[in-house]
Amino acid sequence: MAQSAAGVGGHFEHGRGWYCYPTKRFKTLSVYAYWLNPLMPGKASQGALVPQILRRASQSWDSTMLVERRLEELYGASFRAEVGKIGDQQLLSFQFDGVNGRFLPGRPDMLAEGLNFVQEMMYRPRMVDGRFDAEIFAQEKVLLRRQIQALINDKGQYALNRLVEVLADGQRFGINRLGTLEEAEQLTLEGVWQTYAELQKRRPLVWFVVGDVDPEAVQRAFAAASEMAEPQESLATMTTFRPRDQARTVIDHQPVQQGKVNLGYATGITAKDPDYPALVMYVGILGGFPHSKLFMNVREKASLAYYAYARLDAVLGLMMVGAGIEFGDFDAALDIIHQQVELMRQGAISDDEMQFTLSGLTNEIRAENDSPGRIVGRQLERLLVGGGPSGPELIEALSKVTKEDVVRVAQQIRLDATYFLTTDQAGESVGAAQ
Amino acid sequence: MMQRREPETVIQEHADIDERIYHVRLDSGLSVAVLPRPGFTKTYATYATHYGSIDNAFKVPGTNQSVTVPDGIAHFLEHKMFEKEGGGDVFDDFGRYGASSNAYTDYVSTTFLFSTTSYLHENLDILLDFVQRPYFTEENVAKEKGIIEQEIRMYLDMPGDRLHSNLMKALYHRNPVRLDVTGSVESIRTIRPEDLYVCYRTFYHPSNMHVFVTGDVDADRVIDQVAEAQARRAAQPQQPIERLYPPEPLDVRESRVEHRMQVAAPLFMMGFKDEPNHFTGQELLRREIVGALMWNGLVGRSSAFFAQLYEQGLINNRFQAHYTAGLTYGFSVLGGETPEPERLEAVLRDALGTLPISRQDLERQKRRELGEYVGLFQSIEELAYVHNHLVFRGSSLFDIPDLIRSIRIEDLEEFRARHMSPSQTAVSVIVPA
Repeated sequence: MAQSAAGVGGHFEHGRGWYCYPTKRFKTLSVYAYWLNPLMPGKASQGALVPQILRRASQSWDSTMLVERRLEELYGASFRAEVGKIGDQQLLSFQFDGVNGRFLPGRPDMLAEGLNFVQEMMYRPRMVDGRFDAEIFAQEKVLLRRQIQALINDKGQYALNRLVEVLADGQRFGINRLGTLEEAEQLTLEGVWQTYAELQKRRPLVWFVVGDVDPEAVQRAFAAASEMAEPQESLATMTTFRPRDQARTVIDHQPVQQGKVNLGYATGITAKDPDYPALVMYVGILGGFPHSKLFMNVREKASLAYYAYARLDAVLGLMMVGAGIEFGDFDAALDIIHQQVELMRQGAISDDEMQFTLSGLTNEIRAENDSPGRIVGRQLERLLVGGGPSGPELIEALSKVTKEDVVRVAQQIRLDATYFLTTDQAGESVGAAQ
Repeated sequence: MMQRREPETVIQEHADIDERIYHVRLDSGLSVAVLPRPGFTKTYATYATHYGSIDNAFKVPGTNQSVTVPDGIAHFLEHKMFEKEGGGDVFDDFGRYGASSNAYTDYVSTTFLFSTTSYLHENLDILLDFVQRPYFTEENVAKEKGIIEQEIRMYLDMPGDRLHSNLMKALYHRNPVRLDVTGSVESIRTIRPEDLYVCYRTFYHPSNMHVFVTGDVDADRVIDQVAEAQARRAAQPQQPIERLYPPEPLDVRESRVEHRMQVAAPLFMMGFKDEPNHFTGQELLRREIVGALMWNGLVGRSSAFFAQLYEQGLINNRFQAHYTAGLTYGFSVLGGETPEPERLEAVLRDALGTLPISRQDLERQKRRELGEYVGLFQSIEELAYVHNHLVFRGSSLFDIPDLIRSIRIEDLEEFRARHMSPSQTAVSVIVPA
């Protein structure tokens, strides 16, 4: 008996709510909570620090060591509190995963434990003089600063972040989820405390429970939860990314062994538009799979790259293309990418490409049901975009997409920015391997 | 609990968590295991050979001829298996049936896999077929070199990868575990089609391989299908493979290595290598569990020592420690980002040998390991990964819980006493350029 997206129960209104996905498939119970905090210039670091501080200690477990010991006593339950980004929102996430009590000695009630744990960590932080513990604040401030500095360590992610920055050109979705170094250095205990107060008072809050649970028990728990009593700000629906139409090329030089080329395209389509299924097919045919045009031509035929992909940010309606290449192959790689995008505009799409892509996407969408994180991610995305098909409904819509639909979408896609991270050694084309 | 279902299939059962696994060894020598996960949408299948990056010298079975092949060839061979005679590649075959396929190579094994939510029968046939059909030409080997060179360069830009790679080269003199799984840009350039064929014929024989399938499947039907595919192939029996590993000295090759890269702050990693031993099967698995319990007890997130290092700003929450072992090696690594690598090293060297681990600490760690074991069944990919890891080390997933329960504080202390000699310790540091 397969559960579909329709198996998600619950509701979200007045800026707060919960969803429950009951299934016997999993041996674990997942309890996730998210605050959605609008990314604002100068403010992102404040939001980023909140989960880092909350994770450290609570009133019941007033040191990190005791928090961690509590999780170990719950048979190695895991808890993550971190900051992410979706569209132009900072996503402050609090995620608890524990083994279902049915499979443990003494059969503990893991749903109650999970809900209690997450609520404790979010709402009952360790406090000194009516504020966060100043020592914890100071330690986490230093670590956040280091984390921002360390963004240059991961070249692939760094290149992608730079592309998004260039595309956004000042729009809020371009703000880094951690904020900037300057912001992090200026953080004050009072400022972060105010941000925390604001999160509790105003920001949209959504909970998810996934696992073999009784939805009524979940409903009862949330009906009793005080944080669900007060209405919050409603969630602003995302609008599609508006390109500045500059077709800019930005090149950064660093001491690297491989060049990273990344391109950003405006599609004008988000998940709730009628053309969304055709866009999903388009991106899949171009670069979603090993049978796709980019993989076949950049990697298999020209041997220029190990990876070459196209992926879609469905919340922003933004397509990104990327490949890791030899420094001297920048023009050659761009030629192939542009050529493949152009071919799709002209309708050079085979029946096999349509069929393989539909099968591959169907597989991916169905497989979402096997991961609590992806079940939740799908629902969260829909919440932000304000609807759109998912699960079986999306599969059905994809199967009706025609080649003409894909070509129509192809013709409205526009390149907005090209980014290249390359070597800082003049005249270098092949670096010495160690 | 073991029971026999029919003459050849052995069912191992773990009733507490309602799981069972079916094992069979076919006439060809191929071993097959199926772990049904009712209710899952996806089925995940792997076809793995007991052949990894450390197997770069061996005797060709049935002869007395020793060969040494270029570093990184097992990984190169993994890439090349996707090529089909007459053009086209295997990704297309899986693509036709909507499966997502991939492969990976590590120190001891090469694994081909797919995951699918439909057409299991067709996709499984493709997997069973392509891994048995090598097709290497001068041209397709040359083409792959460009692709793999970019893969290697991608890793060269990853500081964490360099940190680990440099540490392995410092810890080991000769054991090929010291080499990067991918080999180097130079070593892969020397690979020829005939080298690939020699490795293929030696290591891709069914008697050296294992098929694993997990998902909402009928175990009998899967086993029958694999048996039929094997019968069609009619492999000739093969003599056991003789792998040649050079003797490894007890002490480390270099006690400290530093490398400059563009990073924000230094990265630090400390390694401890085992004295040469011949652990295998449950004994080896038990050792891996003892290692995990010891490290989590000493420097895990719930330890007083972790709290001390963290509060002093010497580590962040990505600091970690773990032990890993194969049939010819065993080592621990611990480390992460730190502003002061020298100070962190001094503190660790000073404390690790004598830090107390209490019985309560151990009990909590055992709970955690037991919980994580049940949690494995959550992700069929992870489940397959751990299953395959154990198969080629001679043990089984279902051995884990009893082994965890059997471990005493004395086991941890004995492990520590033999594992932390300064002459078996090395440090790798990446410093900002």
